Amino acid sequence: MAVQADPRLVAELETYGAQDVLKCYHCGNCTAVCPFSKEPFIFPRKSMRYLQMGLREKLKSNLEPWLCYYCGECSEQCPREAEPGETMMSMRRWLTAQYDFTGISNLLYRSWYMELLGIVILAAATGLGFYAYGTAHGSIHVYDGANAFLPSSFIHAFDWTMGSILGTFLLINCLRMWWITMGRDPRVKVTPAMYARRAWLLLLHFFTQKRYSECDRKGPWRHHIVLMLSYVTMLVLIMGFLPLVQAGPKVNWWVHALGYAATAGLLVTVAMALLGRVRKTRTHYKHSHETDWIFLIMLFYVALTGILQHVCHRLGSPYAANVLYLAHLMGVVPMLVLEVPFSKWAHMCYRPLAMYFSHLQIDALEAQGRDVAETLPA
Amino acid sequence: MENHKIGVYVCNCGTNINKVVDCESVASHALDQPGVVCAKSYKYMCSNPGQEMIIKDIKEQGLNRVVISACSPRMHETTFRGALSKAGINPYFLEMANIREQCSWVHTDLRAATDKAMDLTRGAVRRVVHHEALEKRFVDMCPVTLVLGGGITGMSAALELAESGNLVYLVEKTGALGGNLARVDLTAPYLDSARDLIRERILRVKANPNITVFLDSRLDTLDGYVGNFKTMIQTPTGEKVPVDVGSVVVATGYKPFDPTPVKAFGYGTNPDVITSFEFEKMLRSGNIVTSKGKPPRYVTIIHCVGSRSEEFHPYCSRVCCMTALKYGQEVKSALPEAFVYDLYIDMHAFGKGCEDFYKQASTIRTIFLMYQKNTSPQLLPAGPKDDCGMLLRVDDRLCGEEVDIPTDLVVLMVGMEAREDSAEVARLVNISRDRDGWFIESHPKLDPVATTTEGVYIAGCCQSPKDINESVAQARAASARIMAKIAKGRLEVDAVFAEVTQDDCSGCRVCNDLCPYSAIEFDPDARKSSVISAKCKACGACVTACPSAAIKGRHFTDEQIFAQIEGVL
Repeated sequence: MAVQADPRLVAELETYGAQDVLKCYHCGNCTAVCPFSKEPFIFPRKSMRYLQMGLREKLKSNLEPWLCYYCGECSEQCPREAEPGETMMSMRRWLTAQYDFTGISNLLYRSWYMELLGIVILAAATGLGFYAYGTAHGSIHVYDGANAFLPSSFIHAFDWTMGSILGTFLLINCLRMWWITMGRDPRVKVTPAMYARRAWLLLLHFFTQKRYSECDRKGPWRHHIVLMLSYVTMLVLIMGFLPLVQAGPKVNWWVHALGYAATAGLLVTVAMALLGRVRKTRTHYKHSHETDWIFLIMLFYVALTGILQHVCHRLGSPYAANVLYLAHLMGVVPMLVLEVPFSKWAHMCYRPLAMYFSHLQIDALEAQGRDVAETLPA
Repeated sequence: MENHKIGVYVCNCGTNINKVVDCESVASHALDQPGVVCAKSYKYMCSNPGQEMIIKDIKEQGLNRVVISACSPRMHETTFRGALSKAGINPYFLEMANIREQCSWVHTDLRAATDKAMDLTRGAVRRVVHHEALEKRFVDMCPVTLVLGGGITGMSAALELAESGNLVYLVEKTGALGGNLARVDLTAPYLDSARDLIRERILRVKANPNITVFLDSRLDTLDGYVGNFKTMIQTPTGEKVPVDVGSVVVATGYKPFDPTPVKAFGYGTNPDVITSFEFEKMLRSGNIVTSKGKPPRYVTIIHCVGSRSEEFHPYCSRVCCMTALKYGQEVKSALPEAFVYDLYIDMHAFGKGCEDFYKQASTIRTIFLMYQKNTSPQLLPAGPKDDCGMLLRVDDRLCGEEVDIPTDLVVLMVGMEAREDSAEVARLVNISRDRDGWFIESHPKLDPVATTTEGVYIAGCCQSPKDINESVAQARAASARIMAKIAKGRLEVDAVFAEVTQDDCSGCRVCNDLCPYSAIEFDPDARKSSVISAKCKACGACVTACPSAAIKGRHFTDEQIFAQIEGVL
């Protein structure tokens, strides 16, 4: 079956950050140096080719961009400076937009001022909403207990409501990812037993990013795992134990010790990433899409305001603590709403899923008695 | 009978000969032969100390014949003849026994190889006794040159010669100078204007009083030999102009391949499928349009049409890859919104600046596809939803998929082929053609512009497809070869050639047609044949064929050959 080429796809990916794609002349050095490029997932050369040729559907059902962790070796070896690593990165952004059924992702990635506008609107709505609630139910001069400006029970309920909504969006997008990369292709015959047998891979890759640790360069993985675990710790503390985190004056040391460690982890790793991108110290920091900056700045802002409001609270300045808390929420809400289901954060689901699906595809090929070296149906 | 004093020198050639042949034994065996007064084995006979040893022996021991048992005479006969001359004896008093190529390199049995080396050396010893002192001869060198072809190559050769003060006759078949290059817009890889290149040449050719240009003319006949050719040029009026020249430069160029027989592209029936030369015309007029008169949205360029195929020409035409890249750049500069697809088999970017040019083509977003040799992309009608005139189905080897690419205009990169009249030209100037019709050079590496006919040179695309730089370089190389001969004033002719003993010749003319170099002329009045020594290459064909045994090959007399055979046996 012949597939129709679309020469405009390259330009489309360029809005997602791809660069110099057409410079690639398929020597295959990138694929040769990549420690992960193994049959049947030969990358990045083949993905580069699908893109150059404008084979939209093939690129869409391609899991390979998620199997790449952008160590940057491919881009360093490229004799044409075709930036295969950055192209894979842009494909991840593009795929995130393809999986997203709302079209919001597409909007955010393709225009940074739309993303900025979204942030401003959400921040304003959050600020006004919480301020109205706070002044109606309490006083800005009271941090906790009766008459608190932002009582933890209310925030807790709000968190769970927002979490459920965002989780639903993300779940739908994950299901779409499954459909696009696995479900819609009748040639990939994966049985329910296979799905069950491999399910543990999801947790393994979510928590350890084991594959990332297998890159030749270990530094980026260490950096990333600290950031990710800090973030997850904070998420668990907030979603599960917000009353304890926010409570006072009694200090619950095990909650707070974890909270401090996670905050420190976030501030340090995010600051390092920001500095790296400013100084372009590593290949994967050389090119920064607008969304990379926005994501890092938001995260840094959220972690900083989070710890500052806590410090003010502990130092006995409830007014300052409440103002900072409001500022913190004005960062948290837009960040999570925009990033989790529609942008950068979604990769916390897509990456483990891609690892899981890729193993399933190999299982299916082997079950059908086909050589894994054979090109995967796509 | 003369008192022969023979010196035999057995070369070890490092270990090339010595590891298989026992050179000491060969030398001592030679010393037992009649007339041999000295026999030596030495590491490198061709080295300066080796030659000096021979010279010293000739002088001190009064040697008058020398046998060198070493490599092929093709390799070092000239070297050792020089040594003999230096020592003051006739250089033809030398015989070489080839105990390397014909012995040590082809045998493994040490004993048998040594025996064979002794046999060959003995043959040489017997033969050298019969060698005669031969003297070199000289012929005149006419300083005028005939250049065939008024393209960039022919004009460059003519200018080079004329500007150094020599007369040139430039014969062009068509009514204008410029050749195929005059049909080209820009040149790769620097995007210089072909028009500028050609105009400069034409103006200089026309302005140079040393150059006589014959347009609409052709070479009618060419007789004679190097330095002394007599030619007739047929002018458009039908008049034949006799011209005497010393050298000939053949620069007749090429013909673009006609893609009509390549069925898959529908060239000739589909007006939006055009050749590279037709596209050049569009580029020159600055109007890139489809048959509907609109600028194309998609332009597809297909490499290797008629080249590198089993069906048409097996060879690579060499210039099409860079020309195709150039089209990509020209289209993008004229129509920045257009997409350019470039379909190649392999990208041959071999010349100076070409790899950068290739990269530049990628940078300006030419989209490359790789198709399989001996397959053909297929042209299909576009669907109703497509925004293009046609689809081209390509089995793209870089992604392993059959891909339909949209296209409005297809440009076929037609290769070069030998001109229809190349056989006729080859016959007229007595040079050879290869199986593809290209003229054959004397030596592909060491003598690339000379031919087997001395005084006739080839340059440019009549020899094989090449780009402008290479063609001009060949033109100037041929000119340099000719100027070197002119500078000498007279030409040295090898002393080894065939001679007809006039009294014995019966005038049967058997030898006349047999001579591959047309070196034998027949005198109809005397009814005798004679050899033009300047043209003779001493192949010996006439010597063996002569029923009256009237032809003698100098340096290859019956006596010498029989003595050698006896010696070997």
